[in-house]
Amino acid sequence: MAISGIHLTRIGKGNYLLEPLRSMNIQDPGALLQHIVAQVQQGHGTHLYYDLSELPIIDQIYYDWLDKLARTCQTINIKMTCINMQSTAAFTLSKFLTSKPAFATALDVPD
Amino acid sequence: MVQKKEVAEKLGALFSLKVGNISGQLEETAREFFCADSKLMDDEEVADLSSEFVNLIAGLLSSKDPHRRTSPQFHALEAFFSGLALRMLMRGGNVDDVVRYAQKLQYSLIDALEKDSGIAFTQSRSVLLYFAQHFDELIMAVFRTYLGERENTLKAQEAELRETSTPITEIWDGVLTLPIIGTLDSSRTMLVMEALLNRIARDHARAVVMDLTGVKNIDSQVSHHLIQMVRAVQLMGSDAIITGIHPEIARALVSLNIDLSGVTTRASLSDGLKEAFLRLGIHVSHKES
Repeated sequence: MAISGIHLTRIGKGNYLLEPLRSMNIQDPGALLQHIVAQVQQGHGTHLYYDLSELPIIDQIYYDWLDKLARTCQTINIKMTCINMQSTAAFTLSKFLTSKPAFATALDVPD
Repeated sequence: MVQKKEVAEKLGALFSLKVGNISGQLEETAREFFCADSKLMDDEEVADLSSEFVNLIAGLLSSKDPHRRTSPQFHALEAFFSGLALRMLMRGGNVDDVVRYAQKLQYSLIDALEKDSGIAFTQSRSVLLYFAQHFDELIMAVFRTYLGERENTLKAQEAELRETSTPITEIWDGVLTLPIIGTLDSSRTMLVMEALLNRIARDHARAVVMDLTGVKNIDSQVSHHLIQMVRAVQLMGSDAIITGIHPEIARALVSLNIDLSGVTTRASLSDGLKEAFLRLGIHVSHKES
């Protein structure tokens, strides 16, 4: 089932790749979170890769969304890793981050 | 207004008749500034320069409104002086010569016109004022070019300095080293961070070893920047390793309550590299004899 505003693709055993689209609405994250987690859980996923390659800046609102998604994933034993973070996004995020984020980070999906 | 127009019309008529002669007389002025000691131009170039100037000023005087300093004819004259200034600066000349040449050119032009026409222009306030106003603006064009060129040079030097002060090296596939030498202030930290993050993105570096052996002191603000830099590196998905922390710096970090628990530190650059290789599964050993 397609979820509006994102591409969620199974990329291997237990791994899912989430690519946010421009149309993704994080103002009301509740329903979106539920749909993402439900789909990964249905496919017996254990790892969610969140692709940030199209995002030049991560502000507090977007970080809160990532944090919420990562913590929701944690509650049902799914690990979330943000990949392809742009240098500008890392720079802005590092400025207001006060503790270790709930998600892991990696350059890309491991081979 | 009518008088103004008359002045320009009369000068225009004189110019159209005497272009050849005047150009020859103005060559002397150019030779004095660009051929004598500095040897910035040869005779042929001086002749071209003077003839081009005379044509341009004749074009201005024969234009619809020779007093308008926004006309295409006046802009052409400005471009002529800007181009001349740029050419002389590139050949090692200085702006003083170009400015003095422009000033002298003004007097030479009036002299040449007086000689050729027999009319005492130096007695005519309106003619002198006309040339003075136009030449002042042309000298301004020379200064604008000079300042623009200086600014470009400074920017280039700044970029070079930035490049050399942050020598980020890929010491192994996916391993970057960044030796930090000297004082780390906020603006420099920002530059280092920007360069480092861009390099991680470009090279897809999996580990970064930041060596602080060359940093002798650190303050609260800088230590926070350092932690921010480490955090940004980690957010991009790379491992950050800090090496070469002097005892004084370690003491300062502790007294500043800087939390280094999430940061990997090693005593020396070589230890840091070993750690980076270990994390990437790279094994470096002595060649078996």
